[in-house]
Order: sequence, then structure tokens, then C-alpha cells
Amino acid sequence: MKPPRSAYPWHWRVLDVLERVVETAWPRRFTKGLPHAMLVPVVLLVAILIAGLVEMLDSSFRVLDTNTFLMSDFYTLDNYRRALTENFFQSVATRSFIASFIVTAITLVVAVPYAYLMVRTQSPALRKFLLVALFFPFFIGEVVRAYGWLIILGNQGLVNEFLGLFGLSSVRLLYNYSAVIFGLVQYMLPFAVLMIAPALTAIPEELEAAANSLGANWIRTFRHVVLPLARPGLVAGGLVVMTLSLTNFAIPAMLGGGSQDFMSNVIYDQFFRTSDQGLGSALSILLVIAGSILVGIIFRLFGTGSLAIKGARK
Amino acid sequence: MTGSRSKSIIIWTFVIASIVILSAPTIVVLGASFTAGNIITFPPEGLSLKWYGTIFGAAGLRQAFLRSLYVATICTAISIPVGTLAAIALTKYKIRFANSIQIYLLLPFTIPLISQGIGMMLFFGEMGLAGQLWPVGVACSVINIPFMIWAVTASASNLNPDLELAAANCGAPPLQTFLYVTLPAVMPGVITGSLLMFILALNEFLVSMLLVDARNVTLPVQIYNNIRSIITPDLAAVSVVFIVSAGIVIALLDRLVGLDIFLKSK
Repeated sequence: MKPPRSAYPWHWRVLDVLERVVETAWPRRFTKGLPHAMLVPVVLLVAILIAGLVEMLDSSFRVLDTNTFLMSDFYTLDNYRRALTENFFQSVATRSFIASFIVTAITLVVAVPYAYLMVRTQSPALRKFLLVALFFPFFIGEVVRAYGWLIILGNQGLVNEFLGLFGLSSVRLLYNYSAVIFGLVQYMLPFAVLMIAPALTAIPEELEAAANSLGANWIRTFRHVVLPLARPGLVAGGLVVMTLSLTNFAIPAMLGGGSQDFMSNVIYDQFFRTSDQGLGSALSILLVIAGSILVGIIFRLFGTGSLAIKGARK
Repeated sequence: MTGSRSKSIIIWTFVIASIVILSAPTIVVLGASFTAGNIITFPPEGLSLKWYGTIFGAAGLRQAFLRSLYVATICTAISIPVGTLAAIALTKYKIRFANSIQIYLLLPFTIPLISQGIGMMLFFGEMGLAGQLWPVGVACSVINIPFMIWAVTASASNLNPDLELAAANCGAPPLQTFLYVTLPAVMPGVITGSLLMFILALNEFLVSMLLVDARNVTLPVQIYNNIRSIITPDLAAVSVVFIVSAGIVIALLDRLVGLDIFLKSK
């Protein structure tokens, strides 16, 4: 007897065919290799990055021939010598490093209370509001955000127009170091809060209550209970903020107005203004090295924090 | 939150200052886009929608926006399968060299963006793909793929492996187990990850600027190129596109998986 149609619906048949396809394409004796096969696409995707870096390493050893505007055929360390000895590059590097330290310090100080309130508040509405206030700037991109600051802080900007209403002369708020620092802090705040918040969630509220009942005031509780336990999040957040601000491009370009260039801006200029691909590549490679050393030192000093993807595994 | 009055005062002071600083650019851009004047002034010269009319007529801006959408779509389409498979593999199975693979997969976060961008510019140039648009989507996927892996890993580690064994025990073949047990379990992570990938690619600026040529720019690059010393409201109206997109993505995140997912400890 033929079974009624509904007993074996068409999508089961489709699945059966697909199962057979899977079975032939990947027989069960290969099961052991499956996890590695699943990783192949992502490894290839990131390999594009490696290929690019190799390409860059190659051109960093070639100098620009000023007669033909072609890259030399021979390898030389000349670009690295220039990058490491010329005063201009040193001052830019110093400026970027100092800025990234200042930005990290300020951002962490501001991010901890924000994350703390967001995690500890009893009100779901307040929590959602704080999350939305965080995601909006994160999702609108750095160009639009910097553009907003140009409107607010510019010479004919809102702040100066406002001062003008009271007959006050206008203040130059943009195109200086502090404007860049300010813009970077605003840019980095969502990253820092989102890295710190899960670490705070992991701290049971009873611990704070216990410290309280043993006579610690909230400042001591914060210093000796909350902050030490939140350390993985603080390290991860601090590291992300530090490396991202060290290598930022848009904020120094837009709020610094060309006078406050960071390393990324200088590298960009080597490629697109002076067209010295070799020197630009060498600077870029040095930036990779400097960033890695920075990450390495912080890992040494404070541990890896919650940064590793494996942090999500048991 | 428990504690004394001084604690509340200090924490609220920081939080309110943060909210003002975080929201100021968004609100000002939004406000500026509705101004009636030709330059942005305070107090505003009155309300009008004329700048929206202006940008609607500007074919250059419209095309730049479509290019951004195209890039973001390609980026998301690549990231979903690639990131999901990787995250499931890393969470569910014991893998040899798992540590090295994880360090490798974090490279997009540890290598400076400018170096990644320039490296990929040289690489795509060598491949003869310079100036094309789809490699920008691929590049956006490369630089942000750890977000996708992170999001899916967070869901996958909540999946009880016994469920898959139970499905197999009931006679479900491997594909069926994957489609009906594994995939639904990691879905919240896939949704979170793909929304992140989409919005980050939509407003990616630096890598876009390095990879596109002058006739083929995406919207953030177009806005950056158009900014002059005098601030005119038409760019504010364009920027509202990004504010609206951000709002849609946040609403979707909240509706589909809940924003609280970002507060969960791993």
C-alpha cells in the first residue's frame, strides 16, 4: 500500500537528498577532520591580511627612485633608518603614544561608573537607556561623530555662537591636542564600557554587601573588592582603547586639522601625498611592531584579561 | 545599586557627563539637518526640510550610499557562514593548536587598522582588483570577523552537547542535527554578529578610503571628502542616514536578541 503523501512530506525528501550529498561529499570516516574543515574558511579570510602584510614587508625594504618614481629592485634598510632617525617621525610617535596613554586613563575612569550603574541598576528601563546611549555613537561611525564635534566646537560652531550671545569673544576649541584627546575619549568610551560591563556582571552583588557589612565604606569596597575582581575587563578594555587610539586616523585628521597628526595619518600621507610607498610601508611595519610590543608588555604586566576568544569557552 | 548618597552622587555625575558627551554629536547632527539657514547657527534659524530635498536630488550622495549598502551586504554575506562555522568548531570540538588558531584569529584586532588597510590595498592591487567595490566588503569582513566569532561563540558555549547526541540517538543524520539543533541554538549569536558586521561595514571609513578609488567612494568617505572649513547643513542631512541605520540596528538587536546580551559575563 502506498503511504499517504502527508506521512512523508516533500521537505523530508529534500533533506534526505541533502543528507546523501553530505554523506558523499564528506564520508563519516573523515568526521575527525570536520572541525578543522570548518576552520578553513576563516583561516583563508584572515590570510588575506597576512598576504597584505607580506606585501607591505616586501615594499618596506625597497626605496623610491626619485628619477623614475619606481621602487628599487634591490633590498635596503634605508626606509627603516629614515623612519627611526628623522625627528618628524619621532615627534609624531611620541604624540600618538602619549595621547593613547592619556585617552586610556580618562576613558577607564569614565567607563567604570557607567558600566557599574548599567550592570547594578534595578531598573530595566534605565539599563536599556544606558545601552542605547552607548550603541548609538558606536554605530554611527567616526566620521559622523567627528562631524558632530565640528558643528559643536568649530570657530563658528555652537559653543562659540553661544558665547557670542553674551558678547564673549570666540575661543579656539578645535585643531589642538586636547580636541583630539577629547574626541578619542568619546570614540573609545563605548568600547571600554562594553568590555568592562561583563566583568562587573560576574561579580556577585553580595560580595559588596558583605564588604559593606564588615565596615568598609563604598570607596574601600570599590578599591578592594570591585576593581580587583573586574580586572580582566579593565585590562581588556584598556588594551583595546590604547591600541585603537594609538592607531586612530579619523579623529586626529578631522579634529586635529592636520596639525596633530598621529602615526596613521603620517603613514597615509606617505602613500597618498608623497607617494613614497617604501617609507610608508616601513612606518606601517614599525607601527605593527610597536603595537605588538605594547600588547605584549600589558599582557606581561596584567595578564591577558578577558580579551582572548577562548575566554568564552569553558 | 546599594550604598551611600555620596556614591550615588559621584556615579551619577560621571554617568550624566558620559551621556551628554556620547549623545551630543548625534543630537546636534540631527538638529542641524533640519535648519532653515544656509549655515549652522545657534540659536537655529528655524525648521525646514530643505536640506533633505537637496541631498535627495544629489545623485553622487545617493550612489555613495548604495555603494555602502553593497559593501555592507557583501561583508555580512561572507561573515555569517565563515564566522559561524569557525565559532562552532572552536567551541564544540577539541582542536589541535587551538591556542595558536585563536591568536591568529585575533590578528584583525591586534594589527593596527591602517596597516591592515594598506596591506590589503597592496594585496588587492597585486591581484588586479584595485578600485573595485566588492573587495572592500571582503576587507570589512576581515577586519571585523572577531566580532562575528565572538558573538556566535557566546551562544555556542551555551549549547548543551547532549542535545546533539540526543538528536542523533533519535535517528537524525548529521545535517539534520546541524540544521535543527545546532543552528537554532547559535541563532541569537548569528543575529547579533551579523547586525554588528553589517553596521560596522556600513560606516567603515579608513579601510574603505584606502581601497576605493576617487570615482567609487562609499558614503563615509564621501562625507569626509566633502567636509570643508565652513560647516553646511547638507552634510548633516546625509549623516542622518547613519543615525537612522544605527537606530534600526539597535531596535533589531533589542527586538531579536535583547541588548542585555552585551552585559552577560562570559
